[in-house]
Amino acid sequence: MSYNAGEYDVVVIGGGHAGCEAALATSRLGKKTAMFIINMDTLANMPCNPSIGGTSKGHLVKELDALGGEMGKNADKTFIQSKMLNKSKGPAVHSLRMQSDRKKYHIEMKKTLENQANLDIYQAEIVEIITNDKKDKAIGVKTMIGAIYNTKTIIVATGTYLKGKIIIGEISYESGPDGVFPANDLSQNLIDIGVELRRFKTGTPSRININRMDLSKMEIQKGDNEISLFSYENVNNIDMINKNQVNCYLTYTNENTHKIILDNIHRSPLYSGQIEGIGPRYCPSIEDKVVRFRDRDRHQIFIEPLGEDTSEMYIQGMSSSMPEEIQIAMYRSVQGLENATLMRPAYAIEYDAIDSINLNLNLEYKSIEGLFFAGQVNGSSGYEEAAVQGLMAGINASLKIDNKGSFVIDRSEGYIGVLIDDLVTKGTNEPYRMMTSRAEYRLTLRQDNADLRLREKGYNIGLISQKIYNKFKIKREMIECEIERLKKLNIYPNEETNELFRKLGSSEIDVCHRASDLIKRSEISYDNLMALDKEKPNLSKDVTEQVEIHLKYEGYIKLQFSQIEEFKKLENKKLSQDINYSKIKGLCLEARQKLDKQKPLSVGQASRISGVSPADISVLLIYLSQIKRR
Amino acid sequence: MSTITAIGTSLGTSGINIIRLSGENSLNIIKNLFNNYSKLSPNSIIYGKLIDNGSFVDNVLISYFKAPNSFTGEDICEINCHGGSYITKEILNLVVRNGAEIATPGEFSKRAFLNGKMDLSEAEGIIDLINAKTKTEARIAIEQLDGQLFKKIVSLREKLIEILAQVEVSIDYPEYDNVEVDNIHVLNLLELEIFEITKLLDSYEEGKYIKNGINVAILGRPNVGKSSLLNNLAKYERVIVTDIAGTTRDIVEETVNIGDIILNISDTAGIRDTEDIIEKIGVSKSIKKIDEVDLVIYILNADDNLSKEDIDMISKIKNKGIKYIVVINKMDKYIKSIFDTFTLKLSENNINDTINISVYENKGIDELKRKIISMFFDDNLNSVNEVMIVNERHKKLLEKSIEYLKNAKKDVINDMPVDIISIQIKESAKKLGEIIGNDVSQDIVDKIFTKFCLGK
Repeated sequence: MSYNAGEYDVVVIGGGHAGCEAALATSRLGKKTAMFIINMDTLANMPCNPSIGGTSKGHLVKELDALGGEMGKNADKTFIQSKMLNKSKGPAVHSLRMQSDRKKYHIEMKKTLENQANLDIYQAEIVEIITNDKKDKAIGVKTMIGAIYNTKTIIVATGTYLKGKIIIGEISYESGPDGVFPANDLSQNLIDIGVELRRFKTGTPSRININRMDLSKMEIQKGDNEISLFSYENVNNIDMINKNQVNCYLTYTNENTHKIILDNIHRSPLYSGQIEGIGPRYCPSIEDKVVRFRDRDRHQIFIEPLGEDTSEMYIQGMSSSMPEEIQIAMYRSVQGLENATLMRPAYAIEYDAIDSINLNLNLEYKSIEGLFFAGQVNGSSGYEEAAVQGLMAGINASLKIDNKGSFVIDRSEGYIGVLIDDLVTKGTNEPYRMMTSRAEYRLTLRQDNADLRLREKGYNIGLISQKIYNKFKIKREMIECEIERLKKLNIYPNEETNELFRKLGSSEIDVCHRASDLIKRSEISYDNLMALDKEKPNLSKDVTEQVEIHLKYEGYIKLQFSQIEEFKKLENKKLSQDINYSKIKGLCLEARQKLDKQKPLSVGQASRISGVSPADISVLLIYLSQIKRR
Repeated sequence: MSTITAIGTSLGTSGINIIRLSGENSLNIIKNLFNNYSKLSPNSIIYGKLIDNGSFVDNVLISYFKAPNSFTGEDICEINCHGGSYITKEILNLVVRNGAEIATPGEFSKRAFLNGKMDLSEAEGIIDLINAKTKTEARIAIEQLDGQLFKKIVSLREKLIEILAQVEVSIDYPEYDNVEVDNIHVLNLLELEIFEITKLLDSYEEGKYIKNGINVAILGRPNVGKSSLLNNLAKYERVIVTDIAGTTRDIVEETVNIGDIILNISDTAGIRDTEDIIEKIGVSKSIKKIDEVDLVIYILNADDNLSKEDIDMISKIKNKGIKYIVVINKMDKYIKSIFDTFTLKLSENNINDTINISVYENKGIDELKRKIISMFFDDNLNSVNEVMIVNERHKKLLEKSIEYLKNAKKDVINDMPVDIISIQIKESAKKLGEIIGNDVSQDIVDKIFTKFCLGK
């Protein structure tokens, strides 16, 4: 039995971090949107770490915010600890991480969606994507109870729910995370319409009641004294900046823990062969770590609260798929966890994911028009990675409906670009995590300048309000003015100057120097130097920070810009989707096959496909020139 | 965009070779090297001398095509020089020393394309050329990179990747144990790496001899047996030999193998004061030849006297700092009394360490061969098996690599943050990777997870 339930511009399947961003983006861009979620109470759930951000992920959240996404704002509303990581290192790798109140994060995000115009949210499992007869265009969806919705575009954001299977020791059962039903039927339907699927795996540690822990045996991990926030819109929010923070704790495994694991390793589904999915290397289970790094006598365990209204603690560093009784022994062997009871056991979860090289850079499936994919189903991992894909898929679905070209961020413009290009062009054989080392132009892709890089784009798309954009434009002008001013400002060699330099351990000057040159010395900060300048304008910290970074690292930034310029030249050589690569004389066989399958948009993108050599690229360039002359 | 260069003709038998330069610096480079630079105008070809720091290199024709009216759409200069692999490579090295970079396969075509140049028929041909070239290059690359050098570059790069992995791990996993990078440690590693690459670069000269051969000139007064020695080494009658002094009037070149080593031997006109104009030109050419070779074999005769010409010539060779061997030929005509006076005179003039041979009786030739090899390679030929570089592209990449490492070292000393330091190290590893063809970024990620224990 089925019935026609209505029509939408966009249907979003899934209400996790990708689904929420996708639904918000399309509805905010004026598209009538429906979001479907199997269990309404798991909207924007955090089935793993109760935290947002971290190294490179913090960058993603800042970029998302600059483009008009929600995750940063929601994290600011619900954080319980804020910490800027890597402060001792260069500005390019400073990364903000917030511990979140998991429940409040869900509630606040749900509120935002509920109050969003053009958006309906339904608790329902989608079992079918309806296509045209040729199966090359998505036209609707069907719920398990027979409701059919016609739609112009679909965004699939199923996370780990597609044929989800939880594994704990010898026991396994079909399930999504946190006891929610998996989406089984949709998986078969995707295969039927020609979507290639594969099996990935991830895992999570146990949750343990803080009242069963001896915190005195652990080290306290506090948040920063000076709280940083994700969203530009919250810069001066006094309540947020003055929020009371909760503590995290640090403890360690020991040789006894390792012995328990090694003695029972044959019962681990990873080693018995029961798990077929490919797990991420960066997210190994504790048994993996113990086996692979036998010489380590201890591993760090971070204890993180799930929220302010709960005693559940997340045991970071001890994800496992061991049988429950082994888990109990294992956790209890850790200092401070001697009396632990497991409120939720650790588990591994297997799920269906697509092969992301079958997507275009706008996240639309190559062979099925109007069908977009975002988040963990694309083979990525992490809330932030999912969220940015959701936003990008949302923007692109909306552009598609308006018959406009795709919105793509390239590798030189943002971590978002690196992430999506890696997934779509290079592909991934394991769940993909963002890392700063994946970005070639890291020094220019800082979390502090995400605004300068992307806010204008967000405004042009229509996700940034005029008011915020105006505020941003003023900031940008002030930065430029101050940089220009310091390039002209002379610092004279007098007693006051040299006394300051002596105090800072910097060499004294005997001729006049430009302020912009002196600031390049690593021991001299903008604030130090401005103590000498009587005409210093009164500027906010986010302005002076940009001025300082820009001038201090100017040489390196210029080096990177020239690399980017080279990169752009090949990116700008576009390749038509109609090229028949098997007909191009001179390409090696592997390159022909890969190029025919992936149909890259530019020569630059082609050059990143594995198996395509520099000689193949030369051939392509020449081929292109032939086309042009004909 | 950088200015690139490559030899545009195939090395080998052709009489003229062309070295092509493309890029905004082309003209500047020529300006430094060409005596008739002022006459050079777009679409012209000018004859003149190529001069390196005051010393003459070759008589050349240079053509100039001004951007955008050139093959690549950039400023192009082409140096037409005399054939022969030695001089051509020397000129290539010269322009590289003056700021050009060795082009990668297909790079001229790539630039031509990027600048909207290149017509249809040309393009067809170039596809074939690139294919052919790539195959040859691949074969050469495999030969060169087989074994030792490949392993060496891999291990040098591996060390950089390890430093990078450490830096990256400390950035991506800041709260973990044992991940913070120690500056002193990085500094030590950088210094070691710089030392190793420097050593490898130093092998370039030796490697060059193996690849291109040793350039040898045989000098001596007329009729001492220069051409006979060449014929003996070449194992056939290459040069007309007579008893008449001055038979060889121009320089005769011959390639001779001694074991694995190639000698590019120039037999010269005998040096004497002569009235014969043609012979005179030959003589002055012989003297000039000294500047172009790696080794001079100077021949004296056992039954002869040491003349003033000999003494002048030998001291000239000594003063130029060129390697030389004094060979005493015609030992078959040895007469003790004459020979004793002769050797006394030699030692009076500080000419020691001579080798006695008889081309006629084929004696002492092996000793001469051994002597030549020992002058260019440590431990005779054992060094051939050591790691050395012979390819200009490799040399250039290693030089770039070392430059980045030196910058990185400076950054460490100036207390720059690790991620800034890593930019230079990454570039350095990239250059090494270009030699062996690898992607740095993925290697770092792989390294991070095999070496460090991380994750939730």
